[in-house]
Amino acid sequence: MDNQEKNKKYILHVSGTHCASCKILIEDILNEQNFIEKARVNLKKEMVEIETNDNMTAEEIINILNNKIETNGYTLSVEKIIVEKKSNNVLWKAIPIGLVFLFLFFLLQKSGILNLGIGGETTPVTSFIIGIIASLSSCLAIVGGLVLSLSAKITQNNNGSNKKPFILFHIGRLFGFAILGGILGLIGKAIEINFIFSAILGLIASSVMIMLGLNLLGVFTKSKITLPSNIFSFFRKVEHDSWAPLLIGLGTFFLPCGFTQSMQIAALSSGTFASGFLIMFSFALGTLPVLALLSFGSVSFAHSKYAPLFFKSTGVVVFGLGMFALLSGLAGVGIINPLFNI
Amino acid sequence: MNKTVIIIITFGLLIGLGIIFLGRPSTNNKTTINNSSVASSVENTEIRDGIQYVTINVKGGYSPKVSIAKAGIPTKLIMKTNGTYDCSASLVIRSISYRKILQKSGEEIIDLGTPKAGIPIRGVCGMGMYSFQINFQ
Repeated sequence: MDNQEKNKKYILHVSGTHCASCKILIEDILNEQNFIEKARVNLKKEMVEIETNDNMTAEEIINILNNKIETNGYTLSVEKIIVEKKSNNVLWKAIPIGLVFLFLFFLLQKSGILNLGIGGETTPVTSFIIGIIASLSSCLAIVGGLVLSLSAKITQNNNGSNKKPFILFHIGRLFGFAILGGILGLIGKAIEINFIFSAILGLIASSVMIMLGLNLLGVFTKSKITLPSNIFSFFRKVEHDSWAPLLIGLGTFFLPCGFTQSMQIAALSSGTFASGFLIMFSFALGTLPVLALLSFGSVSFAHSKYAPLFFKSTGVVVFGLGMFALLSGLAGVGIINPLFNI
Repeated sequence: MNKTVIIIITFGLLIGLGIIFLGRPSTNNKTTINNSSVASSVENTEIRDGIQYVTINVKGGYSPKVSIAKAGIPTKLIMKTNGTYDCSASLVIRSISYRKILQKSGEEIIDLGTPKAGIPIRGVCGMGMYSFQINFQ
């Protein structure tokens, strides 16, 4: 009882909370301070309740605490900071920027530049070229969109320049493709990648993109789309586990993409482990430059002063690509009639 | 930047995207500039030995996107690929439960049975962004 009377309670506003993990992170940092008895974060109200045994004023406490948590992107204040207007301005700029990228991307598809004919034998060199074309084609809507949304989300969560998950993802993709390609070459025509399986995987991927797109946009600031906790724990795995990014990289082998499927057929009919391995490895290598640009580009953008604009523009792009992939995917499995013909 | 400017740019881009997706102006252009789009939808069918053959080119999509064929005749579809690696190679024709990844170059002949008038046959690619339709009259 005595103790409680000495303790002072402050209710402070906190800004910059964008994820469910922020609560844990902020509470951890605050509770480490020895003048704080207890800290509790309310994400919905964006408030922090602090019990302290010190006689400092709220302003002094805020000064000390902000030094600790500002590096993670959070700010404490006595008054609620009105960010509404500022973030709205960013959103207004982000929408046309995102739309420009979507427009250019779909214009590229429509232009037919990517339909170069590559005849003859499928050699590692042609598969490399096909990989480059594929990475600019509508496959980018699914694979690239997924890479972009995951990279943006992970860097936003992390606030650190942790490049390890991305490096692991690309390693998983390169060698996953190579090894699975080798297996296809070895087994020959016996198996075929199940169409429905890859279609469902594509639908899941596009739903994830739509959700992450909305989350990055933060359109609904009032009822902020916080990701469900199991998805959140999945992100923690991607961030801290070595296996998860490797497996996602490998999993992109099964995502629906015409080019990937054609190369899988080429690997199937190549006859040996080594040739299937080489075909799929060079294909994945061809897709690497664009995908690497997307993932490592997000990391460097996320640490520049354009970070808020970058996240929101990415949200627009990812949402658009996700809708495109979802609608085409649904048409692909026959649930809806094709709405468009690129 | 001024908010009005941003709104105008946004609407411009939305209209641009709408044109790309719904593609009406571009198909209109094709039909007005050269009537071959209409003509080719007639030319791509051929009747030999009592069997109607509909030919569709497969590369970066399907062309022609809409074909017109006669109903009530045994019909076969010829899908022509020529260095095709994109999605259009992974062909799905749901009404006859057809699913196959086409050879990168060559012709694939698909039996459509004897189609009835008024029931179009539609094919899509595996990811669903390319499609074609054959109307039977």
